[in-house]
Amino acid sequence: MAHPYYFPTIDLSCRVPIITALLRGSDNFLNAKYKSARKALAATLGVLVLLWTIGCGALYRIMRQPPETFARFMAKLPGPVPFLVFPFETLWMRARAGSLHVGDPAPDFALLTLDKTAQVQLSRLTAQQTPVVLVFGSYT
Amino acid sequence: MVYITEAHPSDVWQMESNIKDKVVFASPRTEEERAFVAGACVRKLGIEIPAVLDEFGNSTESAYTAWPDRIYLIDAAGRVAFKSRPGPFGFKPEDLRAALDKVAPAH
Repeated sequence: MAHPYYFPTIDLSCRVPIITALLRGSDNFLNAKYKSARKALAATLGVLVLLWTIGCGALYRIMRQPPETFARFMAKLPGPVPFLVFPFETLWMRARAGSLHVGDPAPDFALLTLDKTAQVQLSRLTAQQTPVVLVFGSYT
Repeated sequence: MVYITEAHPSDVWQMESNIKDKVVFASPRTEEERAFVAGACVRKLGIEIPAVLDEFGNSTESAYTAWPDRIYLIDAAGRVAFKSRPGPFGFKPEDLRAALDKVAPAH
């Protein structure tokens, strides 16, 4: 006896290869897109690291310049940027380490007192077997 | 104290904190101007230790890599007994104490 109704059926078994191919295609498409995004990200990071390294080198070099040259350079930079972007303190400690070491003979100097009435010579103070503390600084 | 070239003169690298504290000086252009600012520094900060003025070519600052501030201890033989790290980050007077105790334990 024939069915009074028609039930549409889908024979999946014969369509499996087609579906698999479609899924693989979209998979390949997604993989290709993901790979290119990864490459772009790596390239961007590489460029940023390179720029950061160049920036560190430039900052270190300028730190080794005479104080006024360094100060004029810093005045042109926007506020806290060099302190936030670069390892400023580490670079500063290295750049301004100086060539004098503990145990080295102290460079002699003869400088006037502020009222210019007397001259103070370091070697004359130490000749009196007196240790001397030197505190260097300015007002600003 | 060895007064050396200003760290943040108003015409070079002005700091907001200095404006707030009303410590605003342009770079001294002559020995006299430098002596004037140094005098203001000593008076206003109440510095009581003897103070000398680095010469205008900054030769002492340069020999000691002292800018913007730094501390040294020279022993009785005229050798460097203590050298602080460069200021402002390394300017720590308390670090001087141990070196002073070695060089001048009686004080």
